[in-house]
Amino acid sequence: MPPLNYFVVESPDEVGRVAYERVAGDVLQDLDLIKVIDRLHIYVDPKVPIFVAAGLLRHMPREIRVADFANVNRGEKEVVLDISDETYLAPLLQKLWVIYGKEHVDQPDRFTIVLPAGMAGDENLDRLVVADPSETLYKDVIYALQYIAPEGFKVRRQYIREGKFYYVASEDTLPTDIVETAVVPLFEKMGVTL
Amino acid sequence: MTTLVPVTYKGGVYRHDEIMDLIDDLGGYIVQKHVMAQDVVLQSFVPRDDIELIRRIAKPLAGEVVEAPLVGTEIAVVSPSLEIHHLPHISCDIAEYLRRSGAKTNMVGLARGFGKRIANLNDEERDVINEHDLAVYALGNFEECIRKKFPAIRREIDVPIVVTGAPDREALMRVIDPPVEGYVGGIGRIMHRFKRPEELGKLDELVDEVSRVLDARRDALAKDPLSVFPPRLMAIIEEQIHEVSMLTHPTPVTAQMEGLRVKLPYDSYADDVRSLPVAEGVTVGDIADVTPSRMRNYILIRIKPFSETRILV
Repeated sequence: MPPLNYFVVESPDEVGRVAYERVAGDVLQDLDLIKVIDRLHIYVDPKVPIFVAAGLLRHMPREIRVADFANVNRGEKEVVLDISDETYLAPLLQKLWVIYGKEHVDQPDRFTIVLPAGMAGDENLDRLVVADPSETLYKDVIYALQYIAPEGFKVRRQYIREGKFYYVASEDTLPTDIVETAVVPLFEKMGVTL
Repeated sequence: MTTLVPVTYKGGVYRHDEIMDLIDDLGGYIVQKHVMAQDVVLQSFVPRDDIELIRRIAKPLAGEVVEAPLVGTEIAVVSPSLEIHHLPHISCDIAEYLRRSGAKTNMVGLARGFGKRIANLNDEERDVINEHDLAVYALGNFEECIRKKFPAIRREIDVPIVVTGAPDREALMRVIDPPVEGYVGGIGRIMHRFKRPEELGKLDELVDEVSRVLDARRDALAKDPLSVFPPRLMAIIEEQIHEVSMLTHPTPVTAQMEGLRVKLPYDSYADDVRSLPVAEGVTVGDIADVTPSRMRNYILIRIKPFSETRILV
Protein backbone atom coordinates (compact mmCIF):
# COMPACT_ATOMS: atom_id res chain seq x y z
CA MET A 1 0.00 0.00 0.00
CA PRO A 2 1.35 3.42 -0.86
CA PRO A 3 2.47 5.52 2.13
CA LEU A 4 0.19 8.43 1.26
CA ASN A 5 -1.10 10.47 4.16
CA TYR A 6 -4.63 9.90 2.98
CA PHE A 7 -5.75 7.34 0.43
CA VAL A 8 -9.40 6.41 0.00
CA VAL A 9 -11.21 4.66 -2.81
CA GLU A 10 -14.99 4.80 -2.68
CA SER A 11 -17.38 2.83 -4.84
CA PRO A 12 -20.83 1.28 -4.47
CA ASP A 13 -19.36 -1.95 -5.90
CA GLU A 14 -17.20 -3.47 -3.15
CA VAL A 15 -15.28 -5.86 -5.43
CA GLY A 16 -14.52 -3.00 -7.80
CA ARG A 17 -13.49 -0.77 -4.90
CA VAL A 18 -10.89 -3.24 -3.67
CA ALA A 19 -9.66 -3.81 -7.22
CA TYR A 20 -9.30 -0.07 -7.84
CA GLU A 21 -7.41 0.40 -4.60
CA ARG A 22 -4.89 -2.08 -5.92
CA VAL A 23 -4.88 -0.57 -9.42
CA ALA A 24 -4.25 2.94 -8.05
CA GLY A 25 -1.49 1.67 -5.74
CA ASP A 26 0.23 -0.20 -8.56
CA VAL A 27 0.05 2.70 -10.98
CA LEU A 28 1.38 5.24 -8.49
CA GLN A 29 4.18 2.87 -7.60
CA ASP A 30 5.02 2.16 -11.24
CA LEU A 31 5.16 5.82 -12.16
CA ASP A 32 7.10 6.69 -9.02
CA LEU A 33 4.49 9.17 -7.82
CA ILE A 34 4.06 7.93 -4.26
CA LYS A 35 6.51 10.46 -2.93
CA VAL A 36 4.88 13.22 -4.92
CA ILE A 37 1.22 12.73 -3.99
CA ASP A 38 0.22 13.55 -0.43
CA ARG A 39 -3.50 12.81 -0.40
CA LEU A 40 -5.74 11.07 -2.89
CA HIS A 41 -9.46 10.36 -2.88
CA ILE A 42 -11.06 8.37 -5.67
CA TYR A 43 -14.75 7.88 -6.23
CA VAL A 44 -15.91 5.57 -8.98
CA ASP A 45 -19.46 4.54 -9.82
CA PRO A 46 -19.94 2.59 -13.05
CA LYS A 47 -23.71 2.99 -12.85
CA VAL A 48 -23.69 6.79 -13.27
CA PRO A 49 -21.02 6.40 -14.89
CA ILE A 50 -18.42 8.61 -13.22
CA PHE A 51 -14.81 8.50 -12.06
CA VAL A 52 -13.57 11.30 -9.82
CA ALA A 53 -10.10 11.60 -8.35
CA ALA A 54 -9.03 14.52 -6.20
CA GLY A 55 -5.83 15.04 -4.34
CA LEU A 56 -2.99 17.14 -3.09
CA LEU A 57 0.63 17.13 -4.12
CA ARG A 58 3.44 17.08 -1.62
CA HIS A 59 6.27 19.59 -2.06
CA MET A 60 7.31 20.02 -5.66
CA PRO A 61 10.66 18.51 -6.59
CA ARG A 62 13.37 21.17 -6.89
CA GLU A 63 15.38 22.01 -9.97
CA ILE A 64 18.34 19.80 -10.80
CA ARG A 65 21.63 21.70 -10.96
CA VAL A 66 25.07 20.62 -12.12
CA ALA A 67 26.39 20.34 -8.57
CA ASP A 68 23.69 17.73 -7.80
CA PHE A 69 25.19 15.07 -9.99
CA ALA A 70 28.70 16.20 -10.97
CA ASN A 71 31.91 17.46 -9.43
CA VAL A 72 33.34 20.58 -11.02
CA ASN A 73 37.15 20.49 -10.92
CA ARG A 74 38.68 23.74 -12.05
CA GLY A 75 42.18 23.62 -13.51
CA GLU A 76 44.25 26.37 -15.02
CA LYS A 77 43.45 25.62 -18.63
CA GLU A 78 40.36 23.49 -18.37
CA VAL A 79 37.37 22.67 -16.21
CA VAL A 80 36.71 18.96 -15.74
CA LEU A 81 33.21 17.77 -14.86
CA ASP A 82 33.18 14.43 -13.14
CA ILE A 83 29.69 12.96 -13.62
CA SER A 84 28.44 10.66 -10.89
CA ASP A 85 24.90 10.07 -12.19
CA GLU A 86 24.16 9.85 -15.90
CA THR A 87 20.41 10.53 -15.64
CA TYR A 88 20.69 14.18 -16.61
CA LEU A 89 23.76 13.91 -18.82
CA ALA A 90 21.90 14.46 -22.10
CA PRO A 91 20.18 17.72 -21.05
CA LEU A 92 23.48 18.90 -19.52
CA LEU A 93 25.34 18.38 -22.79
CA GLN A 94 22.61 20.27 -24.65
CA LYS A 95 23.03 23.23 -22.30
CA LEU A 96 26.83 23.15 -22.48
CA TRP A 97 26.78 23.07 -26.27
CA VAL A 98 24.69 26.22 -26.28
CA ILE A 99 26.94 28.01 -23.79
CA TYR A 100 30.39 26.87 -24.94
CA GLY A 101 29.82 25.76 -28.51
CA LYS A 102 29.96 22.11 -29.55
CA GLU A 103 33.67 22.20 -30.51
CA HIS A 104 34.68 23.28 -26.99
CA VAL A 105 32.76 20.58 -25.12
CA ASP A 106 34.93 17.49 -25.04
CA GLN A 107 33.67 14.21 -23.62
CA PRO A 108 36.54 11.71 -23.49
CA ASP A 109 34.38 9.12 -21.76
CA ARG A 110 30.86 8.69 -20.44
CA PHE A 111 31.59 10.16 -17.04
CA THR A 112 33.89 13.05 -17.93
CA ILE A 113 33.30 16.36 -19.66
CA VAL A 114 36.18 18.72 -20.33
CA LEU A 115 35.50 22.42 -20.89
CA PRO A 116 37.93 25.29 -21.59
CA ALA A 117 38.63 27.43 -18.50
CA GLY A 118 38.05 31.14 -18.29
CA MET A 119 35.02 31.43 -20.51
CA ALA A 120 31.90 33.37 -19.68
CA GLY A 121 29.51 31.61 -17.31
CA ASP A 122 32.32 29.58 -15.77
CA GLU A 123 31.84 30.76 -12.21
CA ASN A 124 28.19 29.77 -12.10
CA LEU A 125 28.69 26.34 -13.61
CA ASP A 126 27.83 24.53 -10.37
CA ARG A 127 24.53 26.38 -10.14
CA LEU A 128 23.53 25.83 -13.79
CA VAL A 129 19.96 24.49 -13.93
CA VAL A 130 19.94 21.32 -16.02
CA ALA A 131 16.39 20.08 -15.65
CA ASP A 132 13.18 20.87 -13.84
CA PRO A 133 11.30 17.70 -12.90
CA SER A 134 8.17 19.65 -11.97
CA GLU A 135 7.69 20.48 -15.66
CA THR A 136 6.87 16.87 -16.42
CA LEU A 137 5.34 16.12 -13.05
CA TYR A 138 1.98 17.62 -13.97
CA LYS A 139 1.85 15.48 -17.06
CA ASP A 140 2.84 12.42 -15.03
CA VAL A 141 0.08 12.94 -12.47
CA ILE A 142 -2.60 13.40 -15.13
CA TYR A 143 -1.24 10.41 -17.05
CA ALA A 144 -1.40 8.29 -13.91
CA LEU A 145 -5.04 9.22 -13.35
CA GLN A 146 -5.88 8.53 -16.96
CA TYR A 147 -4.23 5.15 -16.49
CA ILE A 148 -6.14 4.41 -13.25
CA ALA A 149 -9.56 5.49 -14.58
CA PRO A 150 -11.67 2.93 -16.44
CA GLU A 151 -10.61 2.93 -20.06
CA GLY A 152 -14.01 3.64 -21.55
CA PHE A 153 -14.32 6.90 -19.63
CA LYS A 154 -13.06 9.09 -22.43
CA VAL A 155 -14.87 12.34 -21.63
CA ARG A 156 -12.81 14.06 -19.00
CA ARG A 157 -12.00 17.25 -17.19
CA GLN A 158 -8.70 17.72 -15.44
CA TYR A 159 -7.05 20.36 -13.29
CA ILE A 160 -3.70 20.69 -11.60
CA ARG A 161 -2.59 23.94 -9.98
CA GLU A 162 -0.94 25.06 -6.76
CA GLY A 163 -0.54 21.60 -5.38
CA LYS A 164 -4.16 20.55 -5.94
CA PHE A 165 -5.42 18.36 -8.70
CA TYR A 166 -8.59 16.68 -9.82
CA TYR A 167 -9.61 14.44 -12.66
CA VAL A 168 -13.22 13.70 -13.59
CA ALA A 169 -14.07 11.24 -16.32
CA SER A 170 -17.16 9.59 -17.71
CA GLU A 171 -18.42 7.70 -20.68
CA ASP A 172 -21.21 10.26 -21.18
CA THR A 173 -21.12 14.03 -21.42
CA LEU A 174 -20.12 15.61 -18.13
CA PRO A 175 -22.67 18.01 -16.63
CA THR A 176 -21.41 21.63 -16.41
CA ASP A 177 -21.62 21.69 -12.62
CA ILE A 178 -19.72 18.43 -12.14
CA VAL A 179 -16.86 20.13 -10.30
CA GLU A 180 -19.22 21.67 -7.73
CA THR A 181 -21.28 18.51 -7.26
CA ALA A 182 -18.61 15.80 -7.42
CA VAL A 183 -15.15 17.25 -6.89
CA VAL A 184 -15.69 19.88 -4.15
CA PRO A 185 -17.18 17.30 -1.71
CA LEU A 186 -14.11 15.08 -2.13
CA PHE A 187 -11.79 17.96 -1.28
CA GLU A 188 -13.98 18.70 1.74
CA LYS A 189 -13.54 15.13 2.93
CA MET A 190 -9.79 15.68 2.81
CA GLY A 191 -10.25 18.91 4.77
CA VAL A 192 -9.28 21.22 1.93
CA THR A 193 -11.19 23.76 -0.11
CA LEU A 194 -10.64 23.88 -3.83
CA MET B 1 -6.91 -47.91 -31.75
CA THR B 2 -4.29 -46.21 -29.63
CA THR B 3 -5.32 -43.04 -27.90
CA LEU B 4 -3.05 -40.12 -28.46
CA VAL B 5 -2.58 -37.85 -25.47
CA PRO B 6 -1.23 -34.31 -25.54
CA VAL B 7 2.12 -33.96 -23.77
CA THR B 8 4.95 -31.46 -23.54
CA TYR B 9 8.53 -32.62 -23.69
CA LYS B 10 11.09 -30.31 -22.13
CA GLY B 11 14.76 -31.02 -22.47
CA GLY B 12 18.07 -29.91 -23.86
CA VAL B 13 19.00 -29.39 -27.50
CA TYR B 14 21.55 -32.20 -27.26
CA ARG B 15 20.18 -35.37 -28.91
CA HIS B 16 16.64 -34.02 -28.94
CA ASP B 17 16.31 -35.27 -32.50
CA GLU B 18 16.30 -38.79 -31.05
CA ILE B 19 13.19 -37.91 -29.07
CA MET B 20 11.60 -36.43 -32.18
CA ASP B 21 12.34 -39.61 -34.12
CA LEU B 22 11.02 -41.71 -31.26
CA ILE B 23 7.72 -39.82 -31.15
CA ASP B 24 7.47 -40.19 -34.91
CA ASP B 25 8.22 -43.92 -34.76
CA LEU B 26 5.65 -44.48 -32.04
CA GLY B 27 3.03 -42.93 -34.29
CA GLY B 28 2.83 -39.64 -32.44
CA TYR B 29 2.87 -36.14 -33.85
CA ILE B 30 4.89 -33.06 -32.98
CA VAL B 31 2.64 -30.04 -33.16
CA GLN B 32 5.09 -27.36 -32.12
CA LYS B 33 8.81 -27.21 -31.55
CA HIS B 34 10.47 -24.36 -29.68
CA VAL B 35 14.20 -24.08 -29.40
CA MET B 36 15.21 -21.52 -26.80
CA ALA B 37 18.98 -21.27 -26.38
CA GLN B 38 19.91 -24.64 -24.86
CA ASP B 39 16.34 -25.81 -24.28
CA VAL B 40 13.83 -27.53 -26.47
CA VAL B 41 10.10 -27.73 -25.88
CA LEU B 42 8.10 -30.14 -27.99
CA GLN B 43 4.32 -29.96 -27.91
CA SER B 44 3.19 -33.32 -29.12
CA PHE B 45 0.61 -36.07 -29.23
CA VAL B 46 1.90 -39.48 -28.21
CA PRO B 47 0.23 -42.87 -27.61
CA ARG B 48 -0.82 -43.12 -23.96
CA ASP B 49 0.90 -46.48 -23.45
CA ASP B 50 4.25 -45.14 -24.67
CA ILE B 51 4.62 -42.16 -22.35
CA GLU B 52 6.64 -44.25 -19.92
CA LEU B 53 8.93 -45.39 -22.74
CA ILE B 54 9.60 -41.80 -23.78
CA ARG B 55 10.26 -40.90 -20.13
CA ARG B 56 12.73 -43.73 -19.84
CA ILE B 57 14.59 -42.80 -23.02
CA ALA B 58 14.55 -39.10 -22.13
CA LYS B 59 15.93 -39.68 -18.64
CA PRO B 60 19.65 -39.75 -19.56
CA LEU B 61 19.05 -36.58 -21.60
CA ALA B 62 17.48 -34.83 -18.58
CA GLY B 63 14.26 -34.46 -20.48
CA GLU B 64 10.86 -34.50 -18.85
CA VAL B 65 7.46 -35.38 -20.19
CA VAL B 66 4.41 -33.70 -18.71
CA GLU B 67 0.76 -33.88 -19.67
CA ALA B 68 -0.32 -30.67 -21.35
CA PRO B 69 -4.09 -30.54 -21.77
CA LEU B 70 -4.13 -27.72 -24.29
CA VAL B 71 -1.73 -29.04 -26.94
CA GLY B 72 -3.23 -28.85 -30.41
CA THR B 73 -5.63 -26.02 -29.63
CA GLU B 74 -5.61 -22.44 -30.79
CA ILE B 75 -7.05 -20.01 -28.27
CA ALA B 76 -7.93 -16.33 -28.71
CA VAL B 77 -7.25 -14.10 -25.72
CA VAL B 78 -9.63 -11.22 -26.25
CA SER B 79 -8.77 -7.93 -24.63
CA PRO B 80 -11.14 -4.93 -24.80
CA SER B 81 -8.33 -2.85 -26.30
CA LEU B 82 -4.58 -2.80 -26.69
CA GLU B 83 -4.23 0.16 -24.31
CA ILE B 84 -1.96 0.18 -21.28
CA HIS B 85 -5.06 -0.55 -19.14
CA HIS B 86 -5.11 -4.16 -20.37
CA LEU B 87 -1.56 -4.82 -21.50
CA PRO B 88 0.97 -6.15 -20.74
CA HIS B 89 -0.53 -7.59 -17.56
CA ILE B 90 -3.68 -9.70 -17.50
CA SER B 91 -3.90 -10.33 -21.25
CA CYS B 92 -0.25 -11.26 -21.74
CA ASP B 93 -0.04 -13.12 -18.45
CA ILE B 94 -3.12 -15.15 -19.34
CA ALA B 95 -1.81 -15.84 -22.85
CA GLU B 96 1.57 -16.89 -21.53
CA TYR B 97 0.07 -19.22 -18.97
CA LEU B 98 -2.13 -20.89 -21.56
CA ARG B 99 0.90 -21.33 -23.80
CA ARG B 100 2.70 -23.12 -20.98
CA SER B 101 -0.08 -25.68 -21.00
CA GLY B 102 0.51 -26.25 -24.69
CA ALA B 103 -2.03 -23.98 -26.36
CA LYS B 104 -1.21 -21.71 -29.26
CA THR B 105 -2.62 -18.37 -28.22
CA ASN B 106 -3.39 -15.30 -30.26
CA MET B 107 -4.10 -11.95 -28.70
CA VAL B 108 -7.13 -10.19 -30.11
CA GLY B 109 -7.20 -6.53 -29.11
CA LEU B 110 -10.56 -5.08 -30.00
CA ALA B 111 -10.63 -1.69 -31.69
CA ARG B 112 -13.59 -0.44 -29.65
CA GLY B 113 -14.07 -3.03 -26.95
CA PHE B 114 -13.62 -0.63 -24.04
CA GLY B 115 -16.38 1.15 -22.16
CA LYS B 116 -19.77 0.03 -21.03
CA ARG B 117 -22.25 1.70 -23.36
CA ILE B 118 -19.79 2.26 -26.21
CA ALA B 119 -18.26 -1.24 -26.48
CA ASN B 120 -18.39 -2.77 -29.94
CA LEU B 121 -17.15 -5.70 -31.98
CA ASN B 122 -16.54 -5.38 -35.71
CA ASP B 123 -16.95 -8.06 -38.35
CA GLU B 124 -13.23 -8.70 -38.74
CA GLU B 125 -12.75 -9.21 -35.02
CA ARG B 126 -15.78 -11.48 -34.89
CA ASP B 127 -14.52 -13.64 -37.78
CA VAL B 128 -10.99 -13.83 -36.39
CA ILE B 129 -12.27 -14.94 -32.96
CA ASN B 130 -14.54 -17.50 -34.60
CA GLU B 131 -11.53 -19.09 -36.30
CA HIS B 132 -10.22 -20.25 -32.92
CA ASP B 133 -11.10 -23.25 -30.76
CA LEU B 134 -12.01 -21.07 -27.80
CA ALA B 135 -12.00 -17.43 -26.76
CA VAL B 136 -10.91 -16.17 -23.35
CA TYR B 137 -12.40 -12.75 -22.63
CA ALA B 138 -10.29 -10.80 -20.14
CA LEU B 139 -12.78 -8.34 -18.67
CA GLY B 140 -12.55 -5.78 -15.90
CA ASN B 141 -13.48 -4.98 -12.33
CA PHE B 142 -17.11 -3.91 -12.26
CA GLU B 143 -20.05 -6.29 -12.36
CA GLU B 144 -22.23 -3.56 -13.87
CA CYS B 145 -19.80 -2.97 -16.74
CA ILE B 146 -19.47 -6.66 -17.54
CA ARG B 147 -23.25 -7.04 -17.56
CA LYS B 148 -23.72 -4.12 -19.94
CA LYS B 149 -20.81 -4.56 -22.31
CA PHE B 150 -20.46 -8.31 -22.66
CA PRO B 151 -23.50 -8.85 -24.92
CA ALA B 152 -21.97 -6.36 -27.38
CA ILE B 153 -18.55 -7.96 -27.56
CA ARG B 154 -19.81 -11.55 -27.77
CA ARG B 155 -22.30 -10.91 -30.56
CA GLU B 156 -22.24 -13.74 -33.13
CA ILE B 157 -19.27 -15.46 -31.51
CA ASP B 158 -19.99 -19.16 -31.89
CA VAL B 159 -16.86 -20.67 -30.36
CA PRO B 160 -16.88 -21.56 -26.63
CA ILE B 161 -16.14 -18.55 -24.39
CA VAL B 162 -14.41 -18.40 -21.02
CA VAL B 163 -14.87 -15.08 -19.22
CA THR B 164 -12.55 -13.65 -16.58
CA GLY B 165 -13.38 -10.67 -14.40
CA ALA B 166 -12.91 -9.32 -10.89
CA PRO B 167 -16.36 -10.34 -9.56
CA ASP B 168 -16.46 -13.88 -8.24
CA ARG B 169 -17.59 -16.80 -10.34
CA GLU B 170 -21.18 -16.73 -9.03
CA ALA B 171 -21.50 -13.03 -9.78
CA LEU B 172 -20.20 -13.55 -13.30
CA MET B 173 -22.67 -16.39 -13.83
CA ARG B 174 -25.45 -14.14 -12.61
CA VAL B 175 -24.69 -11.17 -14.86
CA ILE B 176 -23.85 -13.03 -18.06
CA ASP B 177 -26.94 -13.97 -19.98
CA PRO B 178 -27.15 -16.19 -22.02
CA PRO B 179 -24.56 -18.23 -20.15
CA VAL B 180 -21.11 -18.91 -21.59
CA GLU B 181 -19.08 -22.10 -21.26
CA GLY B 182 -16.65 -21.05 -18.55
CA TYR B 183 -16.16 -18.44 -15.83
CA VAL B 184 -13.14 -17.48 -13.73
CA GLY B 185 -13.69 -14.83 -11.09
CA GLY B 186 -11.06 -12.81 -9.30
CA ILE B 187 -9.03 -11.87 -12.38
CA GLY B 188 -9.97 -8.30 -13.20
CA ARG B 189 -7.93 -5.35 -14.31
CA ILE B 190 -4.63 -5.96 -12.57
CA MET B 191 -1.77 -3.55 -13.13
CA HIS B 192 1.07 -5.78 -12.02
CA ARG B 193 2.52 -9.08 -13.07
CA PHE B 194 0.77 -12.18 -11.74
CA LYS B 195 3.26 -13.46 -9.19
CA ARG B 196 1.56 -14.01 -5.86
CA PRO B 197 0.52 -17.59 -5.11
CA GLU B 198 -3.19 -16.67 -5.10
CA GLU B 199 -2.85 -14.93 -8.47
CA LEU B 200 -1.04 -17.89 -9.99
CA GLY B 201 -3.72 -20.10 -8.45
CA LYS B 202 -6.28 -18.11 -10.43
CA LEU B 203 -4.36 -18.74 -13.64
CA ASP B 204 -4.29 -22.47 -12.84
CA GLU B 205 -8.03 -22.26 -12.32
CA LEU B 206 -8.34 -20.63 -15.74
CA VAL B 207 -6.32 -23.41 -17.39
CA ASP B 208 -8.55 -26.00 -15.67
CA GLU B 209 -11.66 -24.19 -16.84
CA VAL B 210 -10.38 -23.94 -20.41
CA SER B 211 -9.39 -27.63 -20.45
CA ARG B 212 -12.78 -28.59 -19.03
CA VAL B 213 -14.55 -26.69 -21.82
CA LEU B 214 -12.27 -28.14 -24.50
CA ASP B 215 -12.61 -31.66 -23.10
CA ALA B 216 -16.36 -31.35 -23.44
CA ARG B 217 -15.81 -30.38 -27.07
CA ARG B 218 -13.41 -33.31 -27.55
CA ASP B 219 -16.02 -35.69 -26.13
CA ALA B 220 -18.56 -34.34 -28.58
CA LEU B 221 -16.07 -34.79 -31.40
CA ALA B 222 -15.36 -38.37 -30.36
CA LYS B 223 -18.99 -39.25 -31.11
CA ASP B 224 -18.58 -38.11 -34.71
CA PRO B 225 -14.85 -38.16 -35.37
CA LEU B 226 -13.12 -35.94 -37.89
CA SER B 227 -12.14 -37.49 -41.21
CA VAL B 228 -8.49 -37.00 -40.31
CA PHE B 229 -6.73 -36.12 -37.05
CA PRO B 230 -5.54 -32.49 -37.50
CA PRO B 231 -1.91 -33.16 -36.43
CA ARG B 232 -1.78 -35.95 -38.99
CA LEU B 233 -2.91 -33.61 -41.75
CA MET B 234 -0.39 -31.11 -40.44
CA ALA B 235 2.41 -33.66 -40.83
CA ILE B 236 1.27 -34.41 -44.39
CA ILE B 237 1.19 -30.73 -45.34
CA GLU B 238 4.60 -30.09 -43.82
CA GLU B 239 6.00 -33.03 -45.72
CA GLN B 240 4.41 -32.34 -49.08
CA ILE B 241 4.40 -28.56 -49.38
CA HIS B 242 8.03 -27.65 -48.92
CA GLU B 243 7.36 -23.87 -48.88
CA VAL B 244 6.02 -24.37 -45.35
CA SER B 245 9.52 -25.08 -44.12
CA MET B 246 10.66 -21.70 -45.44
CA LEU B 247 8.15 -19.70 -43.41
CA THR B 248 9.58 -17.81 -40.49
CA HIS B 249 6.44 -18.02 -38.33
CA PRO B 250 6.89 -19.84 -35.02
CA THR B 251 4.08 -22.16 -36.07
CA PRO B 252 3.87 -22.16 -39.89
CA VAL B 253 1.05 -24.68 -39.67
CA THR B 254 -1.05 -24.26 -36.55
CA ALA B 255 -3.03 -27.22 -35.30
CA GLN B 256 -6.53 -26.63 -34.06
CA MET B 257 -9.02 -29.08 -32.65
CA GLU B 258 -11.00 -29.27 -35.84
CA GLY B 259 -8.64 -27.98 -38.46
CA LEU B 260 -5.46 -26.21 -39.32
CA ARG B 261 -4.26 -22.75 -40.13
CA VAL B 262 -1.63 -22.78 -42.86
CA LYS B 263 0.37 -19.57 -43.02
CA LEU B 264 0.75 -19.50 -46.78
CA PRO B 265 -1.05 -17.04 -49.06
CA TYR B 266 -4.50 -18.38 -49.92
CA ASP B 267 -4.56 -17.20 -53.53
CA SER B 268 -1.35 -18.97 -54.53
CA TYR B 269 -1.59 -22.12 -52.45
CA ALA B 270 -5.25 -22.99 -51.85
CA ASP B 271 -5.48 -25.23 -54.92
CA ASP B 272 -2.23 -27.02 -54.06
CA VAL B 273 -3.56 -27.71 -50.58
CA ARG B 274 -6.93 -28.92 -51.89
CA SER B 275 -5.38 -31.37 -54.32
CA LEU B 276 -2.88 -32.73 -51.81
CA PRO B 277 -3.27 -36.51 -51.42
CA VAL B 278 -3.92 -37.60 -47.82
CA ALA B 279 -4.30 -41.29 -48.54
CA GLU B 280 -4.85 -43.32 -51.66
CA GLY B 281 -7.58 -41.66 -53.70
CA VAL B 282 -8.36 -39.10 -51.02
CA THR B 283 -7.30 -35.48 -51.26
CA VAL B 284 -7.52 -32.71 -48.69
CA GLY B 285 -10.36 -31.19 -50.70
CA ASP B 286 -12.43 -34.37 -50.17
CA ILE B 287 -12.25 -34.30 -46.41
CA ALA B 288 -11.93 -30.63 -45.54
CA ASP B 289 -13.03 -27.13 -46.48
CA VAL B 290 -10.08 -25.03 -47.53
CA THR B 291 -11.11 -21.44 -46.94
CA PRO B 292 -9.40 -18.07 -46.75
CA SER B 293 -8.66 -16.99 -43.19
CA ARG B 294 -9.56 -13.52 -41.92
CA MET B 295 -6.16 -13.48 -40.30
CA ARG B 296 -3.84 -11.89 -42.91
CA ASN B 297 -3.95 -13.93 -46.14
CA TYR B 298 -3.62 -17.33 -44.51
CA ILE B 299 -5.42 -20.54 -45.38
CA LEU B 300 -7.89 -22.02 -42.91
CA ILE B 301 -8.64 -25.72 -43.21
CA ARG B 302 -11.78 -27.03 -41.52
CA ILE B 303 -11.84 -30.81 -41.44
CA LYS B 304 -15.25 -32.34 -42.07
CA PRO B 305 -16.62 -35.03 -39.75
CA PHE B 306 -16.88 -38.69 -40.73
CA SER B 307 -20.66 -38.49 -40.92
CA GLU B 308 -20.35 -36.04 -43.80
CA THR B 309 -17.52 -37.58 -45.83
CA ARG B 310 -17.76 -41.27 -44.92
CA ILE B 311 -13.96 -41.26 -45.06
CA LEU B 312 -11.69 -41.90 -42.11
CA VAL B 313 -7.99 -41.56 -42.78
